[in-house]
This record gives sequence, structure tokens and C-alpha cells, in this order.
Amino acid sequence: MRRLLGKSGVWLVGAAIILLTPAIFDSGFALSIMGQMGVAIIFALAYNMLLGQGGMLSFGHAVYFGLAGYFTIHYLTLMGDEVVGYFPVSLLPIFGGVVGLIFGIAIGFVSTRRAGTTFAMISLGFSEMVTALTLILVAFFNGEEGIQTDRWVGPEPLGITYGPDIQVYFLIGVWCFLATLAMYAITRTPFGRMSNAVRDNPERAQFVGYNTQRVRWLAFALSSFFAGLAGALHAINFEHVGFETVGLAQSGIVLFMVFIGGVRNFSGPILGAVLITLLTSTLGGITEAWLLYFGVFFVLMVIFAPGGLAGLIMLHEPVWKTDVRLLRGMILPYAGGLGTALIAGVGVIGLIELIYFSSHKLTGESRMVLLGVETSVFSAVPWLVCAAIAAGGIVLCRKSFPRMARSWNAAIDEVRARAAA
Amino acid sequence: MIFQKIGAGLLGLAMAGALTLPAVAQEPVRVGMIEPFSGPVAQIGIEVYESAQFMADRINAGGGVLGGRPLVIVRFDNAMNAEKTTQQVKKAIDEGIRFISQGVGSNHALNIIKQLEKHNKRNPEKSVLYLNHSAVTTAFTNELCSFWHFRFDANVDMKVAGLATQMGRDPNVKRIYMINQNYAYGKSFQAIARIMIAQRTSAELVGDDLIVPFGKVLDFTPYVAKIKSADADTVLTGNWGADMVRLVKATADAGLDVQFYSIYGGLPVSINGYGIEAGMAVRMKQITEMHLNDYQQDELTPIMAAYLAKYGHTWYGDRQRLIWEMFAKALNKAGSDDPVAVAYALEGMTHPGPNGEIWMRAEDHQIHFPLVVSTLDDRAPRKIVYEKQNLGVGWKTDGWVSREDLTLTTTCDMKRPT
Amino acid sequence: MTALEVLLFSLFNGILYGLLLFMLSSGLTLIFSMMGILNFAHASFFMLGAYFAYQISKYVGFWPALIFAPLIVGVVGALIERYGLRPVHKFGHVAELLLTFGLAFVIEEVVQMIWGKAPVPYEIPQSLKFPAFNWLGLDYSAYRVFMVLISVAIFVGLYAFIKRTRVGLIIQAALSHPGIVGTLGHNVPRIFMLVFGFGSGLAGIAGVLGGNALGTEPAMAIQLGTIVFVVIVVGGLGSLGGALIASIFIGILTNIAVSYDISFRGFFMALGVSKDAVGVGSDLVNMTSAGISPILPYLLLVLMLIVRPRGLFGKRDV
Repeated sequence: MRRLLGKSGVWLVGAAIILLTPAIFDSGFALSIMGQMGVAIIFALAYNMLLGQGGMLSFGHAVYFGLAGYFTIHYLTLMGDEVVGYFPVSLLPIFGGVVGLIFGIAIGFVSTRRAGTTFAMISLGFSEMVTALTLILVAFFNGEEGIQTDRWVGPEPLGITYGPDIQVYFLIGVWCFLATLAMYAITRTPFGRMSNAVRDNPERAQFVGYNTQRVRWLAFALSSFFAGLAGALHAINFEHVGFETVGLAQSGIVLFMVFIGGVRNFSGPILGAVLITLLTSTLGGITEAWLLYFGVFFVLMVIFAPGGLAGLIMLHEPVWKTDVRLLRGMILPYAGGLGTALIAGVGVIGLIELIYFSSHKLTGESRMVLLGVETSVFSAVPWLVCAAIAAGGIVLCRKSFPRMARSWNAAIDEVRARAAA
Repeated sequence: MIFQKIGAGLLGLAMAGALTLPAVAQEPVRVGMIEPFSGPVAQIGIEVYESAQFMADRINAGGGVLGGRPLVIVRFDNAMNAEKTTQQVKKAIDEGIRFISQGVGSNHALNIIKQLEKHNKRNPEKSVLYLNHSAVTTAFTNELCSFWHFRFDANVDMKVAGLATQMGRDPNVKRIYMINQNYAYGKSFQAIARIMIAQRTSAELVGDDLIVPFGKVLDFTPYVAKIKSADADTVLTGNWGADMVRLVKATADAGLDVQFYSIYGGLPVSINGYGIEAGMAVRMKQITEMHLNDYQQDELTPIMAAYLAKYGHTWYGDRQRLIWEMFAKALNKAGSDDPVAVAYALEGMTHPGPNGEIWMRAEDHQIHFPLVVSTLDDRAPRKIVYEKQNLGVGWKTDGWVSREDLTLTTTCDMKRPT
Repeated sequence: MTALEVLLFSLFNGILYGLLLFMLSSGLTLIFSMMGILNFAHASFFMLGAYFAYQISKYVGFWPALIFAPLIVGVVGALIERYGLRPVHKFGHVAELLLTFGLAFVIEEVVQMIWGKAPVPYEIPQSLKFPAFNWLGLDYSAYRVFMVLISVAIFVGLYAFIKRTRVGLIIQAALSHPGIVGTLGHNVPRIFMLVFGFGSGLAGIAGVLGGNALGTEPAMAIQLGTIVFVVIVVGGLGSLGGALIASIFIGILTNIAVSYDISFRGFFMALGVSKDAVGVGSDLVNMTSAGISPILPYLLLVLMLIVRPRGLFGKRDV
């Protein structure tokens, strides 16, 4: 009973977050970002059905996301022109999902016959082809301009028009919750387990009687369904679909989200989707060099934390499950590690900002405000100070990181000892 | 990361602070500039921002607008992504900004037009006006025209009409080969050019190709071979970016004796890309509202010198000056920063331009001014400076096209707020 | 041009273009055949080669740049292998691929940070700027001939190196049997580092030679990033000869598509699309082979992977 409550507790907290955040962040920009997060969460979870649970690396999953968006936009427009029958806007994501599913079944039939690199390359090929088609089949895709629409169509049940952003936010919120629940349920089914088995050891899975190709195909189709659902919501959110939505960059960003969040944990993609959406939509307004920080962050994650953020957190699961008090001994070393990393980070970021500023001459001036201090890029002082902070931080990190690792080891040893006892 | 944010945030604050220094501490009139400031095409956005900032500084040094209020340009980075443009419009509106300026990428412009139409309909008390400085799709002032959109650049139809007028005067233009990019802009170039070549020249159109746009074509040699075998003497193209650079490089490399009539072939960033020698070899021609060796307003000379000194670039074209001068004039005429009042003030406004009077047509919100066709030439008196490097070439005028010759009919049926 | 001349021209020019593609992808196929890594940052190394060459040739001219720029790119590649790829090797090929995916971002941003966002004026050397010969009214510059020669030299050199030299054999063995090669006293990780550095250096050479022909700008890596994959996958992953054939095939294919400008009107009308169709139908009827020439390689890629996943000359599936 307690376990059941613990399980549903997570979902209740999730629902509460979806319901309450607009009360705190209510500007149009914030609502737009939060809506985007919801869409990203669905898309990232769908993508992880492939990468994390099925072991299929795709460079073209945005195809299903984007195509569903295009179909949804067209449906909305046709509905506005009263060419097609009325279909509640609230249920359009289902329509998008079905579009994704159909394309997923069709393309998946050929692409999932192989796993691994072949699959990745086919996905890349389809991605490039569909992107090119957006410029060729202009009547459907309308080239680089994409398609605009008005989501305010049809009857207004309960006064819901989807004119105001807040209504769209809740539409996304509800669908995000339902889709997450559904995708979680799928991981618990025999099919979910089968998908894992095919990922980990295809030969063995085949030997015990599974058709590995069929399993991959099914996983691919289901994943495309949810990607399409996300695509439809994306189209409703922005009232626009452009060629970027089917492109390689869109596929790349969802890969970033899933990997940084963590592929081996169900909640990893959620974490990644929220974080990356936040970073991409706000960092650009703060620093010119945001794409660089973004890339460096990703590379460092791949090298040092291939399990993603969720993987890092789950390293500590046995500790808090055994005894929360064990975490107390880790606070100091961890604070030390984070502190020194912060110092090194400040130094390195300072240097990068200095280089960016002096090479871009955006203001045509030599004075800039660096980390709250006004300085001149022609003076050696800021360069030396930043270099010194960076070097000092890195030296300190070399001391603090092993301490962090030791404290974790100690805690884990304690956990093992208790488990043995 | 956190420190970075704080630091950079302070950087932004301090920059905004520095801008407000010349004027008295009055509430500024803010304009949101939504352009690519990061990613592979950021260079264009940065140059646009520089000239806008330069003009805002000048206006503020002269006392600002509306009796002492400073003009402030706020940058919003769209990273050349259409969804991000939509989001940044929302952000600008959240921050209480009532004027938006953009021009790089017609797809982004279209997004802004459509978004503002919806926003202004849903929130008439918080309406927002869009000042388009370079997005040239003709439809924005034809069937897609909007009360909330003003264009301060000649549209594709006008530019092609100007090129055709000059080609009609040029005895060397007998056989024209057209190459354009296969997307909305390139296709509208193609459509109007077919009409204008027939109307304004006696030349023959011997080739008409659309290429896959945005740098996808790596090898232009087959196109060069087609130009050669069609025996063309003139290439007419709307290409820009890598599609322009590679076409010029391949043509010059094959030693073809043709001349280029273009819209964007003369951008300093393109000249840098294809190289001066290749540009001279194809006798690259461009169409602009003025160029550094041909203008009649003496006041432009110190402006160009000051800009060059500050940013290390030649003043290219003049619309980046005209847009802000006209905007400031409209604010003062309206007597308030209410977008509706400013829009009505802009309608039908006339203003002194680099070569005669310019006019904002009320019917469709399209600016009208004379255009000049000029050729890249190393004997031109003033040379182009780009990124502080003197390129050793300048522009020489082939001929001016009068405002009357560029005034085309519009299909716009403007809906004005009541 | 007569019909025969058009055909000959398309074949000839297709081969020239194909050899440029081969030069671009040779390093990638080498790295894959030796190490099994699909390097997504390969085009970024190409870009680095072009930018380094621009910088060096500004001071000491083109010829030293042709030597030193690839060397520097090779060192950068080796460092990336040592400190980036080697630590993630144990997590498998997906992690390696993701690392190079991220590196492509980082390299593009670093290039923008150092050289700015505008194209740089990296020009063909004056000493090779004269027309070497003229055919069908088109000049072919000495520089293009030089590019072709280098490309052929790379193929011959690599082929001989892998098949004929002891080092080449050790490298091949190190991929299939790292344990045994290690026991025999060879330092396998160091071999991998050198191979990766060498492959990156080849991309660097392509950058030096291609940068001034295609234009040197931050977007060049993105524009070329995927076409090199098509070449090596169609040719058969890890097959040098396959990459050469695939490059030339793609070169000829795109040239013929543009030169002949075939209309698909008949094809789609046979499928039942009316010639006066509106919407998508009209797009299909008006589609020409020139208009779709840049996507032909991707179509080829997908078809190849469906019909013959090992590519033209691959020994095993991708």
C-alpha cells in the first residue's frame, strides 16, 4: 500500500507542478517556454523509446514530429475554411499521433530491418530527404516560409477557444501528463521488456523466439505515434510549422535532451527536456557564446557522465534508500567539488567571453562588463585574472573531485556492509 | 553557469545604461530587434544591429524623440529559427515593447506579420508595430499586406523592375540567363523577371534555372556549362550567400565572358566570399538605394565616415538610416509612442533621401525611392572597407532608375483598425 | 553542345567533382575501417583545414599552408582521440558517435569565435590561377587539375599503405584482434590515436584544397557534413575503393541530373497525376531532375541501405 502511494505520489506531484507553475510564471514568454517544455518532454520520452529502451540511435526522428505538425496545421486551416468536418482542437494531438504512427509504420518497415549504424544512417537519409521535400513539394510544405494558421476555430466548448496562451498551456499540460503516463505504462508491459532484451542482446532474444525486427518495428511505430502527438501540440502552440521542425537540427536537439537527461532512466528525458528547453530559450538572450557552452556541456557529459543527469542522481539511489542520513557525510565533499568546479567555470567562462567580445567587436568598443566588473579587453588584467581563476579552480578541482569520489565510495561501502548484515 | 548569467545580465544592463546616458532620464522608446545573432548566419544580424545602434546613437545625441526620450534598440536572438522568432516576439511583448524591427529572412518576417495580426486583434490595447528593413517578399505589401507592417526596402518586384530598366539601356545585354533559388523569394524573382524582361528590354531570355537553395549545391560547373552553351551574355540572379559565392567562383574559374545583374551580389560579405578578382571578371552589378560613390545628400558623408571609424565597415545602402529617421519623425508627428498613431503618421510620409524624395505609400506601406544600378570596379574613387580591410574596389554607377519607374500597382486591400 | 558533348561533359565534370568528394571522405572511411568510429565531426576537421590554411597562407603563402594546416588538424584530431574518444570507447560506438556529434558544434563555435561569422577571403594561389586547358568553351584552371592529382595521390597512397605496408597490416589487425596485437607488443591505443589523427589530417588536406574553391565560412561544415556519410555508406563502410567509386558515381549522377534537366511529368502523369493538377500534384508534375539533384545522393543512400546494407564494396553490414 505504501509502495503504491509512493508510486502515485510522483504522478500527483507531477500533476501539481503542471497545474501550479502558471500561477508563478504567467508572462506570455514564460507560458510559451513552459508549453515548449511540455512538448519537448513528450518528444524526448518518445525518442527514448527508441534510444534508451530499444537501443536505436536515430538522426531523423523529427520527421515524424514535423510531419504530424504539418498535417495538424493543414487540418486546422481546412477546419477554419470549413472544408473538412469539425474535430475538437483538444483532441487534435491524437490526429497528429496517428499521422506519426502511419509514417512510422511505413518508414519503420524499411529502416528497422537493421539496428545499429545502418538504422542510424537510414534515419539520416530520410531526414535529409524530407527536409529537401519541404522545398520541392511547396503546395504541402510551403517551402522555407512554412505554414501559418489560426487555432481559434470551431465551437467553443466551456469557453475554451485556445486564443489565450494559458489555455494552450493547459492543453499541452494535460496531454504531457497523459502521454507520460502511457509511455511509462508501456515500459512495464511485456513488450517493453522485450524491447530491452532486443537492445541488449539481439542474438539471444532471437534465439528464445522473438522476432527482433518485429519488436524494433513496433517500438519505432509507437515512438513515432508519440512524436507525432508532440508535433501536433507544437503546431498548435506556435500556430506555425516550418521546415526546421523536420530537420536534422530538431532531431539533434531531442538527442541532446535525451542524452543529457539520461537514457537509462525513465525520468531522464524529462529532466533533459526541461533543462535544454530552458537553456536554448534563455541563454541566447544572455550570452553570444551560448552555442559554444551548449556544445561543451554536451561533450563533457558524454565523456564524464554517459548516464546523463538522471544517471548521476541514480548513483546515489542505494544510499538514500538505505539510510538518508548517510548523505550527510557527503554534503561537505560535494559542496567542495561543486564550489571548485564553479570557480574553474567562472574563470573559463570569463576567458571565453573576453575572446568573444574582442573578436566580435559588436559594440565597436573596448570596454565590457565581465562578471559584473567593467573592464577593457585591451588591458592584460582581465585576461590574467580570468586565467588565474581558471587555473586555480582546475587545481582545486583535482583535489576536491577525488574527495567527492571517496565520500561516495565510503557511503556505498557502508550500504553494502549494511546489506550484508 | 549562474555567475555567467549574472555577469552577462549585468553586461546587458550596463550596455542599456550606457545608451541612455546622452539623453535625460526619460522613459525610452524601445524597439525590439529580432535577428540571428548566433549560428552560422549571425554575421548579417550583427551588421544590421550595428547600423541600427549607430542611428539610434545619432538620434539620441540630437535630443532623442518625443521631446527628449531616447531611442533604445533591444536585441533578441532568433538563431535563424522561425519558432524562436515567434517566441522572441512574445518575449518582446512581455517586456512591454511596442515596436519590432526585423528584416533577415522573409519566412521570419511572415511569422511576425501573422503573429502581430493575431496579437493586435486579441489585444488591441497592447498593439505592436513591425518595421521591416529588408525582407523583400512582394506579397507582404500585396495580398498579405497588413496595417501593422511597414517595409523600408524596395520589394523584389521593384528591384527586378529596376534591374530590367537598366538592362534595357545596356547595349551589351542581348541574351539573358536566369538562375534563382528554388524557394518563395527566388521564385517571385523569376516570375516578375520574366514579365519585366519582356516589358523593359529587347533582350532574349535564353535560360531560366531554379537551383536547390541554401548552400546545397556544391558544384556549379554544370550550370556554367549551360550558360555557356546557351551563349548568354548576361546572368540575372537573385542568389545570395553561398549560392551566390559559388556561382560567381565557378563562372569566373571557367573564364566565361558574361556580366552579372544581381540584387545581393554586391554585399561586402559576398565580395569577401567570391573574391575581388572573380567579382571583377563577371562585372558584378547590384541594385541599391545608393552606394558609396553616388549620393546627393552632403550630410551622408560625415555619417559614413563616422560609421566606418566606429565599426570598420563601409555604409552599405541607406535604408538603415532612412528607417530610423522616418520612425523618429513619425513618433514626433504622432506626438506619442502609440503604435496606431505612429502607423498613421508613417502612412504617406515623405522624407529627403540620398537621391531625391522618398515616400511611404499609404495604400500598402511600401517605401518608394529611386534605385541605382552599379558595377564593382577597382577604379571607383571610394573603396569598400569590410572588417577594417580595404577591399580595393568600389562601386561605379551604371544608371539611376526613377521613383516613377519603380512605382508598381498594388493589390493590397488594407484593413485599418477602427 | 551536341548530345554527345553533353554526355562527355557530364561524365568528365562528374569525375572531377567526384574526386573532390572522395578527398573529403577518404579520412572518414579510413577512420571507420580502422577504428569502427563514424566521425560526425569529419566535416568540421575539413573546415578547420580551410581556416588554418587561410591563416597560414596570409603570412607565408599557400604552399606552406598545404603542409602545415593538415598537420595541425591532424594533431588536433589526435588530441581529441586521446582525451575525448578514448575515455568513452568503453561505452560503445553510440557514445563515440555522440561525442563527435557534440564536437561538431564546439568546433563550429570555436571557428566563429576566432575568425568571426563572415566568410573569410581565402583565395586560390596565384601560381595555379591560369587556365590549364579549355574544353567546350570552358576553362579548367590549373588549380582544379592540381586538386584532381592530389585526390588520386591520396587514393593510391592510402591503398598502398593499408594493403602493402607492415604498419597497415598491424592497424588492420588491431581493429579485428586488439588483444592479440597488444600481446605482440604493439601499443593499440597509440595506433588508434595516430590513425584518428591521420584521418583528420586527410580532412585537413581536403579543407586546404576545397576551402578556396567552395568558400570558407562557418556554415561549410554543416553543408558538407552529411554528404560525406552518403559517400562512405554507399561505397561500403571502410572500403577505400568503394568510397572512390561512390564519389565518382554521385558526381556523375548530380551532373547528369543538372545537365539533362529531365522532367518527371511523364512519370507522374503515368501514375495518374493530371498535368493541370493543383497543389502537390502540380509540384510533382513540374519537378525536374536539376531541381532535386542535391537530394539524389540521399535517395541513393536509403535505397542502397534497403537493398544492400553493406554498400557497394563493404565486407560487412554497416
